[in-house]
Amino acid sequence: MATVTISDVWKYYGKTMAVKELNLEIQNNEFMCILGPSGCGKSSTLRMLAGLEFISSGDIYFDDVRVNDLPPRDRDIAMVFENYALYPHKTVYENMANPLKLRRTPKDEIERRVRRAAEILEIDPLLGRKPVELSGGQKQRTAIGRAIVREPKVFLFDEPIAHLDAKLRSHMRGELKHLQRDLETTTVYVTHDQLEGMSMADRIAVMHEGVLQQLGTPEEIYNRPSNEFVAGFVGEPPMNFLDCTLEQTNVGLTVVHAGFRLSLSEEQASLLSGSGAEANMRIGIRPDNLAIEPGADGTLDVPGEIFVTEPLGGDMIVEVTIGGDRVMVKTKIGPMGGPGDPCRIGFDVDKLHVFDINTGVAYF
Amino acid sequence: MASREIVRYRSPLRSVLQGLSILFLIFFFVWTVLPLFIMVVSSFKDLLDAFQLPEPGDWGDLGVMFDFKPTGTHYVELFTEKHFGTYLRNSLIASLGSAAVSVSLGSMAAYALSRAEFRGKRDLLFWIISTRMAPVVAVMVPLYVIFRSSGLVGTLPGLILAYTTFNLPFAIWILKGFFDNVPYAIEEAAQCDGCTRWQAFRLIIPLVAPGLGAFIVLCVLFGWNDFLFATIIGSGGAKTLPVATAELVQPVKIQWGMIMAAGVVTTVPMMFLGLLIRRYLVAGLTMGAVRE
Repeated sequence: MATVTISDVWKYYGKTMAVKELNLEIQNNEFMCILGPSGCGKSSTLRMLAGLEFISSGDIYFDDVRVNDLPPRDRDIAMVFENYALYPHKTVYENMANPLKLRRTPKDEIERRVRRAAEILEIDPLLGRKPVELSGGQKQRTAIGRAIVREPKVFLFDEPIAHLDAKLRSHMRGELKHLQRDLETTTVYVTHDQLEGMSMADRIAVMHEGVLQQLGTPEEIYNRPSNEFVAGFVGEPPMNFLDCTLEQTNVGLTVVHAGFRLSLSEEQASLLSGSGAEANMRIGIRPDNLAIEPGADGTLDVPGEIFVTEPLGGDMIVEVTIGGDRVMVKTKIGPMGGPGDPCRIGFDVDKLHVFDINTGVAYF
Repeated sequence: MASREIVRYRSPLRSVLQGLSILFLIFFFVWTVLPLFIMVVSSFKDLLDAFQLPEPGDWGDLGVMFDFKPTGTHYVELFTEKHFGTYLRNSLIASLGSAAVSVSLGSMAAYALSRAEFRGKRDLLFWIISTRMAPVVAVMVPLYVIFRSSGLVGTLPGLILAYTTFNLPFAIWILKGFFDNVPYAIEEAAQCDGCTRWQAFRLIIPLVAPGLGAFIVLCVLFGWNDFLFATIIGSGGAKTLPVATAELVQPVKIQWGMIMAAGVVTTVPMMFLGLLIRRYLVAGLTMGAVRE
């Protein structure tokens, strides 16, 4: 249990910059997810928190203690690694007991705590096995077990479930979240999978190329992305982006594209006009916020042509060509026609995002 | 795991090759085992029996080789008159001592070279192995001068040091390969668990145990079989088995029986060592090579 403060932290590898001027405060008992593509600096950040890498400049505090110069063992953290990093020559029990043994915990106390952790993680029948005899999911539980046998100040997770198969991953998401609530321990969870971030975290820090892009709750990140990168990174299928121009017409501010014209609301128009937006800009709209009907003579506004349909069981994703650009639409499954067939598309203008075409910064 | 079956189809050529390879194996078996066999058998014969050989080509008369009364006199003589007990002890101390020093220093150096990145690392590694490129004879004279002025000639520590100079580069190279194959994440996990760097290093030692085991054998064998260092640096106070055996060849009388017995005394411990860690040796020598 601790508050973690990352203050003006930079990380360089030689001349390569990995983390740029990072400021982040992680509340006591918070589940913070650092989300970003590979090479965005998220793992470097986590490793600096763990003490496995030096901080090039800046400070890290656990509560009020500056930990920059403390080795991992003195930081009171527990880390779960992407490749589990179990001790291959030790049994599951010995793996989990190791952190306690190093702290000279009495033997019966070790026994009690390891058994308790094993029960929580449902690996108690496996305690006598070696890591080679375990499946991926069991190894990962053992690695988590090794972290939770003691009560560290901070849990650090480095893509712990990235190597599991999809079904087990979705199961573990729920378990990890539950476990974190149960243990009430400050947690930093690094992942490239936006779904993990969205479903588990209290707050998400999205990083890209070493720079913190946005910090917020999953809801804020999803509904009010601060720039084009965040908007495109979060959400599945990803947001559609279309280059458009802005025109002042008699019905107000209008977004003009080769395939359609959309009138913005007054509120949206005021956000744009006050910000010095240029005539050329990029709009973004999530596949869920587009409606579609098959055939050329439906009631929706924009004509399009079906490129391909991808049924997903209950839902389907339809890729549609509108005025030379392609967009994805998510809809309930139903008869839709095949490639080349006409259809009509409707925009939920309230859910529209507008980005600066050069900087990618979101106006709304 | 993928099937490792080697598919073979019958063909005339294959049958011929198979026949030839069996012939070769028989020949090879006789070639390697016969000298050992003669050595062991002769060590139990007295001098007269030892030269009872059948006429060349007279296969029916092979029996004379086995027609003798076994005697242990050569062994008794070796250990009573020739002090082979002391030489056996010297050999053991020199080879095991050098192995111990080489492995402990070598594993630390190999670990450092495996984990740390620094400028000139490749050059350093090359320099380390290049010390093994010169033949022993070439460095013997300067080495002798150094050892003599340090008072190390004729002492066991001197011999251990001499073997270590030759074993250590080898140790570093072999063991580095083993450490390279141990993921660094394991040590990182250990540090997060609460280990110091040193404790983390010790924690992964069991993971390179096959390498250590294999390497100890190679080190021991080098010291055990060495003749050149032993005659020059070890001469006098630190005489080892090979040197003592050679001294049994005297100008007036070559003591075949005792030489054979000395050969057995020299061979048997190493055979036991080989049997003891045979499993490790194979696993160890191949494990460093293939990344899983």
